[in-house]
Amino acid sequence: MIPSVNELQLAFQARGYVAGDALATSLRLVVGLGRPLLLEGPAGVGKTEAAKTLAAALGTRLIRLQCYEGLDAQAALYEWNYARQLLHLRAAELRGEGLSDEDLYGEQFLMPRPLLQAIQEPQSAVLLIDEIDRADDAFEAFLLELLAEWQITVPELGTLSAVSRPHVILTSNRSRELSDALRRRCLYHWTEYPTRAQELQIVHSRLPGINETLARQVTDAVHALRALPLGKTPGVAETLDWAAALMTLHADHLDAAALQATLGAVLKLREDQLLAAPTLQAVAAQAQSRG
Amino acid sequence: MAELGPAAPAALSAQVTAFAARLRDRHVFLIGPGEVQTALEALGMVDVLSRREVRAALRSVLAASPEQVRVFDLEFNAFFRTDGHSAPRLPPLLPETPAPAAPGPGGEAGEPGEAAGPPEPGAPAPQATPGEQPGEPGGPPQGQETGDPDSNDHDADAPVIRTQLSPNAAPGAAVHAGEGDLAQLLRAASDLIRALELGRARRLRPMPRGSKLDARRTLHAAARTAGDAVTLRWLGRPRRAPRFLLVLDGSRSMGRDATLLLRFAQALHLRSRRVEVFAFSTGLLRLTPLLRRAAPGQPLDLPDLGVAWGGGTRIGENLLRLARDERGRVDRHTVILILSDGLDTGDPALVARALRDLRRRAAGVVWLSPLAATPGYRPVQRAIAAALPFLDALLPAGGADDLHRLGRRLRAARRAGPTGRGG
Repeated sequence: MIPSVNELQLAFQARGYVAGDALATSLRLVVGLGRPLLLEGPAGVGKTEAAKTLAAALGTRLIRLQCYEGLDAQAALYEWNYARQLLHLRAAELRGEGLSDEDLYGEQFLMPRPLLQAIQEPQSAVLLIDEIDRADDAFEAFLLELLAEWQITVPELGTLSAVSRPHVILTSNRSRELSDALRRRCLYHWTEYPTRAQELQIVHSRLPGINETLARQVTDAVHALRALPLGKTPGVAETLDWAAALMTLHADHLDAAALQATLGAVLKLREDQLLAAPTLQAVAAQAQSRG
Repeated sequence: MAELGPAAPAALSAQVTAFAARLRDRHVFLIGPGEVQTALEALGMVDVLSRREVRAALRSVLAASPEQVRVFDLEFNAFFRTDGHSAPRLPPLLPETPAPAAPGPGGEAGEPGEAAGPPEPGAPAPQATPGEQPGEPGGPPQGQETGDPDSNDHDADAPVIRTQLSPNAAPGAAVHAGEGDLAQLLRAASDLIRALELGRARRLRPMPRGSKLDARRTLHAAARTAGDAVTLRWLGRPRRAPRFLLVLDGSRSMGRDATLLLRFAQALHLRSRRVEVFAFSTGLLRLTPLLRRAAPGQPLDLPDLGVAWGGGTRIGENLLRLARDERGRVDRHTVILILSDGLDTGDPALVARALRDLRRRAAGVVWLSPLAATPGYRPVQRAIAAALPFLDALLPAGGADDLHRLGRRLRAARRAGPTGRGG
């Protein structure tokens, strides 16, 4: 049963993720059409979290492949357990037994990596291919074939077809331009920072015990910071970290002292802290006058 | 929505096909019959009475980049208008016609979208440039989905008009760089690529010969010969191939130099796929997709570059925006080339801050200045003076000759050591 857009939104909300109409529609199509989804957007807007939440909402397993420069198909698909194979070989020699290729290349020596795990999963898993832009062109090209055929050929074993087709989500921070071929095979969604109201909702759902005034002030302050030309713009994770830090210090509103004590939770560069100082002073003064 | 209501399947199919054709023909979206079929299947999975769901579903299938998302939203709102007015003509993502000459003082406007000058108030706006920031006046509304809020439905192109009419906006202009010196510039680009020796990568890779035994692959190979390691496998450190990030000052003060440097950027792009090109004037714009689609050997015609060309200069702001928004494009394999005369009215502290940030992450930062080719030149411009401590080299770029010597000069400058390093 494929959930509707509305049902998906509610399931996400129940898990503390506020998904807008467009994201929920894209995810609905991932499940319904069986097409991969390419999620792009600035760091910290919740791309990876969307895949995790989808797995939780569908009640299925999340399999994650973290991409990096130099990642090859071998590391993403499967490896043979060479050490075990050698031990098996030596033991057989000591026993005076002969071994055939089939004995040495059995499934017991096969170590499945994320892509193979994903197609061997009995129930459709959510396969997160994280930061695909970090992988090389060659790996991206290899992925095209897998995403089209959903089968993997292990020379010693033959072709392994997907037991169930996984729901694939690829994320990218645009550090490298992805090929048109990959983009054409994927649905696409550009994720932006949440609106003020959405972010307030996220804070409340992730930190249920938070004071309403504090939640609103933190959200407002983060939005004021995002308008500045910062080196590292705070994402949703920073908003939550900041609010959690303030709650740990038992602050029920944002004042100059609380702000100073917890600034490192939201601004991680010294230059950003200096640049944002006047804005934060204004935020604290405004909070003080309202408080 | 009237058009996508409980329509007959044939009518719905015809509308989606026409909409897809419009995106393909006018904006060069990569949409084929397969995408149209997927779009129709997608509509079968959402509530076709909900405009937002229909738009989100079609956008997921038909758009493939943030730039396309923005164009898609404008076109969707124009194509599926609810107020019964005829759809305004939007400018194409890529030029359909040869770029017109620079706008005259009268700002003569022809067909909207094909006009050379700035748009008339109230005229359909050209496409938004990627330099716009969410949340800024004129930028798209901030939200989890760009362009999704219904507030955008009835006046989708208004933010773009506001941006273009802002007193800080550059007039924008189409760029025509037709001189036939591409062969010479290609040679200069090759020299530059050869001149950059970034050393060896840290990461060990399987290589035919190397400094370290690859135990895993050797054992793997040995498994085929009953455990005897007959063939040894090696790991080595490959040569680090440079990436280039070119940042071109397209402001008025650069004059003809900007076009020469743009052609050089095109030549470098033709010589290496690992080249990213940005232009800035009052705003920043990524030129790489435009250069990628330009036909080699033909005059270089670029569409109206908006805030990135022909206006004032804001070096610091734009370098900082580059360092923040495009930080993923800069790594220790990247050599940043800034092509600017350094004449800036902005805050030099922003230049220093941006370059400190970029210098930390890049393999090198080189500033090419047309003014530096002038005899007796001293780097006293405020932006250059602020940048100097973070540069590996400040080199002249006054003409084709300087570009030919660039590789040699850069090698010499790197041997001599940096002009200074920022902390």
